[in-house]
Amino acid sequence: MAGRVSVLAYAGGVLLLTIGAIGAAMLLRPGFAASVRQVTGLEPVRAAAADSFYAVRVAPLFDQHCTGCHGERSAKGQLRLDSFAAAWRGGRHGDVLGADGELYRRITLPPSDIKAMPPDGKQPLSRDELTVIRLWLAGGARGDVPASAVKNAPELVLPVTFPSFDPQAVARQRARLAGDVVRLQARFPGMIAYESQASDGIEVSAILAGKRFGDAELQAFAPLASRIVRLDLSGTAITDAAPLARMTAVIRMRLADTALTGNIVPALESLPKLKVLTVTGSAIPAQALDGLRRKGVTVHGGGDGA
Amino acid sequence: MMDPKFLFTDLAQIQAQTRRHFLGWGAGGLGAFFLNDAMRTEAQAAAVQKLNFTRDPATPLSTLPPPFRARAKRVIYLHMGGAPSQLDLFDYKPTLARFHGHDCPQSFLKGKRFAFISGIPKLLGPQFPFHQAGQSGTWISDRMPHLQGKLDEICMVKSMKTDQFNHAPAQLLVHTGDPRTGHASLGSWVTYGLGSENQNLPGFIVLVSSGGITANAGKPLWGSGFLPSVYQGVQCRSAGEPVLYLDNPKDVSRAQRREVLDAVDEINRQTHRQFGNPETVARIAQYEMAFRMQLEASDAMDIRREPAATLARYGAEPGKTSYANNCLVARRLAERGVRFIQLYHWGWDSHGTPTDEGVNVGMVNRCRETDRPTAALLSDLKARGLLEDTLVVWGGEFGRTPMWENRGGQEMAFIGRDHHPSAFTIWMAGGGVKAGLVHGQTDDMGYEIVQDPVEVRDLHATMLYLLGFDHHALNYPYQGLDQKLTGVKPARVIPQLLA
Amino acid sequence: MAPKRGDRILVWDSPTRLFHWSVVALVFVSWLSADRGYMTVHLWSGLALLSLLLFRLAWGFFGSTTARFSNFLHTPPRILNYLRGKDKLFYAGHNPAGGLMVLMLIGVLLAQAVTGLFSTDSLRFSGPLALLVSEDLSLRLTSLHGAVFNLILALVWLHVVAVGFYLLVKGDNLIRPMITGRKPASYVSEGQRLVFTHPFIALLVLAAAVTLVAGILFWGTT
Repeated sequence: MAGRVSVLAYAGGVLLLTIGAIGAAMLLRPGFAASVRQVTGLEPVRAAAADSFYAVRVAPLFDQHCTGCHGERSAKGQLRLDSFAAAWRGGRHGDVLGADGELYRRITLPPSDIKAMPPDGKQPLSRDELTVIRLWLAGGARGDVPASAVKNAPELVLPVTFPSFDPQAVARQRARLAGDVVRLQARFPGMIAYESQASDGIEVSAILAGKRFGDAELQAFAPLASRIVRLDLSGTAITDAAPLARMTAVIRMRLADTALTGNIVPALESLPKLKVLTVTGSAIPAQALDGLRRKGVTVHGGGDGA
Repeated sequence: MMDPKFLFTDLAQIQAQTRRHFLGWGAGGLGAFFLNDAMRTEAQAAAVQKLNFTRDPATPLSTLPPPFRARAKRVIYLHMGGAPSQLDLFDYKPTLARFHGHDCPQSFLKGKRFAFISGIPKLLGPQFPFHQAGQSGTWISDRMPHLQGKLDEICMVKSMKTDQFNHAPAQLLVHTGDPRTGHASLGSWVTYGLGSENQNLPGFIVLVSSGGITANAGKPLWGSGFLPSVYQGVQCRSAGEPVLYLDNPKDVSRAQRREVLDAVDEINRQTHRQFGNPETVARIAQYEMAFRMQLEASDAMDIRREPAATLARYGAEPGKTSYANNCLVARRLAERGVRFIQLYHWGWDSHGTPTDEGVNVGMVNRCRETDRPTAALLSDLKARGLLEDTLVVWGGEFGRTPMWENRGGQEMAFIGRDHHPSAFTIWMAGGGVKAGLVHGQTDDMGYEIVQDPVEVRDLHATMLYLLGFDHHALNYPYQGLDQKLTGVKPARVIPQLLA
Repeated sequence: MAPKRGDRILVWDSPTRLFHWSVVALVFVSWLSADRGYMTVHLWSGLALLSLLLFRLAWGFFGSTTARFSNFLHTPPRILNYLRGKDKLFYAGHNPAGGLMVLMLIGVLLAQAVTGLFSTDSLRFSGPLALLVSEDLSLRLTSLHGAVFNLILALVWLHVVAVGFYLLVKGDNLIRPMITGRKPASYVSEGQRLVFTHPFIALLVLAAAVTLVAGILFWGTT
C-alpha cells in the first residue's frame, strides 16, 4: 500500500494532532482551559479566607439561590458556584465574574427575560443581595478581603431557625416538680401550664377564677415558686399579704384590678428576674413604683386606675 | 340461644357498613396494587417534629404549650375588608403626586390584569397630606390622627404582596392560606395548636361590623376547613345576645336545659361508640360549650360594664353594632383568655363608583370609624399589660393601584383606585414584633415592591413563629398531605419583623 | 467455490456499512446540536442512534456472517495475542482488536442514548423518560450522560488513531472496505463461507427497532 509511515513518525503525528486539538479546545472553551491548567498544576486552586467577605456574605447567597443547579448535584452550563475556586473557573463560556460579567448581568435581568437567573419563576435576588454581590465583584471578586472591611454592605440578616429540643432532657428537667404540677393542675384546672414544650418554666394564670382566688390559694403554689416564670393574678382577691416575694423566678407579672396597695411594692422590688409588671386598676400609687422603674422594670399602670 | 341484645348490636354494625366503608377499604387495596414505585420521588428528609395535638375529646380546646417559647399568647386580627388604599394612608409617594393626572405609562399596564381598569387610566396622586410622626419618623397621612400617636408601637410592612386580585379569593388567601374554600382559617389553626385559656368561651371569636354585609368570601374565612369543626370561628354579635338563640327559651330553666343536654350527650356518645366519627365528639363538646357560654358570654361581651371614660376613648356606644364596640369587646375577650379574636370592617373598596366607596368620601368615613377605636385598643392593651403578648394585625387583602380607576374606560366622577395585588401595607403591634419599624419598600410610583417582598404565607409563618410554632410542624393530615396554613410553597419567617 | 470477480470480494453487507456511517454522522450531529443548544435535533438524533444501535444488536445475531458477534468477538487471550502481533491470520470481517473496539463503542453509545432518555437540564429540556425517575436520579444520569460523552470522545479518538495506524503504518486500508464492502480475496480464507442476509430483512429488523423505541417512548410518556 502507498504511504507507509514509520510507527514513530505516526505516533509523533498523533501526539501533535492530539495536543493541537486540546489546544484548540482550550481556546474555544475557556472553562476547559482553566480546568486543564488547574489539573496540570499550572494554576493554583483558589481558596477564600473563612472570614472574607466572600465566605461570610457571598457564599451563603450562592448556596441559597444558585448551587441547586450550579453545584455538585448538577452544573448547568458547566458552571459551579459551590466553591471559590469553582466560581473563578467559570462555565462553558469562560469567566463569569467581573463587575459587568455574565453572572452579574444575568442576575440583574428582569425576571421575564429567558436568560434571567435564577430562572423559571424562582425568587430573584433581593436588592440587598444584589448589592452584596455587586460589592464583591467590584472589589475584584477576591477571597482575602475581610467581611468587616467592606463598607456600605447591607446588614446581614440571618434566617430564622426553629429551636429544637430533646424531649427527654426536658422531661428530666421537669421531673423534680412534676408531681406538684400534676397535683396543683388537678386542684386548679386550667391555671397551670408549661411555658413551652421545650421548657420547664411554668405559667400560672388565675384570671378566670376571679374573686375565688386569694392569698391562701396562692400559698398553695409555693412548691412551684422556683420555676414560675409568668404569673397573672388579675382580678383575683389577693391582698398585700400575698406571698409574692416567693416568686423568685417570675419574669412577667400581671396584677391588674386587684386590691393591692403600695405595701406590696417591697416584695415586688425583691424579685430578681422581674422584667414586666402590670398593676393597672390596683391601688398602688404611681410614686411607689418609681423604684421598680429605676431598676429597669417596665411597669404598666399605677396611680391612674384606668 | 343468642342474646338478642348481641344480635341487635350486630345488626346495627352490619347496617353501619355503608357503601362508603366498602369502597374505602376496596380502594385501598386496588390502589396499592397499582402503586408504581418508579413514580415515587425520593422522600425529602423532613426533619419536622411530629407534634401531638390530641386532647381529651371532652375538652377539645384545652391548652397545649407551644413547641418553643411564644412571644404572643393571643391574636387580635383587624381585617379591613375591601382593601384600604395604602397610597392614601401609609405609603407616601411624592413622585406619584408630581405625576398626578398624567396618563399611566404603558409599562404599568402591559401584561397585567385589572379588576376594572381598562384602556389608559390616569395616575392618581395621594389624596391627603402626609407627614412623619413618632420617634420612628414613620410617614402617615392625616386620615388617621389617633393611630399617628401609636406609630412607635407599630411594625409596618409596606411590601406585602399577593397573587389574588379579587376580594373573595384574596380574603381566603389572607385568612386560610389558600385562595379556594375548604382550608382551615388562621384562628382555627391557632386554636387547634394552642387551645384556648378560657373553656367557657369559644377559642376563636369573630366580630363583624359592616352594616350586615359579611366579607366577600363569607363564613369560610373563619371556618375550620378540614380541621375538626370545633375549631371554627364563632361569629358573635356585639349588640344584644352575643350568639343568637344562646339563651334558653322562656320557661326553660337552666336545670331543665342541663337534663336535655345530658340526654342528647348520651345519644351522641352511643353514636360515637358505633361509628367512631370524631365530629360526634365535637358536637358534644360544642353543646357543652354553649351551655357554659350562657353564663359567661353575655358578661364578656357586655360593654355597659366599662366605665364611661373607656367608652369615650373608644367611641363605643352600647346597644349598637360598630367597629368601636367590637374593639372594646375584643379587649375584654383578650383579658378573658380568648385565643383568637377577629374583627371585620367592610367598606374600604375605594373604587370611586358609589360615593360611599370613593377615596375622598367613603374611605374618609371608614377612617373616622376605625381610627379612634384601633388606637384606643392598642393603648388599652398596653395599659393593661396585654399588648406585649397580644399580637395585633391590621390589614386588608390587597392594595390599591396608583392609577385613577376608570371603569369601562371612562373617567370617574369620584376618586377611586382599582385592586392592586403587587403591593400593599399591613401593620402589626405587640406580641413580639419590632415596634417602630417600617419594613419593605415600593418603587417611586407605589407600583412594585423593590425591597423585601413579603408573601402572605411569609406573614403567616411569622405570626405562627411568634405564637411559638414552626409553621411546618403545625400540620394536619388530609387528602394525603400534611396540610399547613402556609401551604406547599416555601414560606419563611421574616427576621426583621421580630423584636 | 464461487468465482472470484477481480481482486476484491464483498465482505461487508450494505446494512452494516450504512449503520457504520450513519452512526458516525449521528454522533457528530448529536455532539454539535447539544453544544449549540438545538435540543430538538439532539433528541431526534439520539433516538435515531438508539434505534440504529438496537438494530445492530439484533443484526449481530441475524445479519450477514461478518456482521455477527460470533464472527468478531474473541476471548481476551486471543485479543491480547493479536495486539502483540502474534496473530498472523487475515480476517474477512473485524480483527479481534477491531471487534473489541466495536463492542466498546456500541456499549458506550448505548449507555449514552439510554442515559439521555432520562436526562434533564432542570429547566426547559429533558429526555422523554426523565419524569419516570426521581429528580435526583435524573440529575445523576444527566451527569453520567455528560461524563460518558468524554468516554465516547476518547474511544472515537482511539478508533481513528487505530484505523490511521492500519492505514499509514501497516498499509492496510480499512476505510475503503467499510464504504465499498469489498476486501482483497486474500482476506477470505479457504473454505470460509460468507452468508449475506437479504437487506430486506435488515429493513424489517430496523423497523422493529424503531417500533420498539417508539413503544418505549409511548409507554414512558403516557
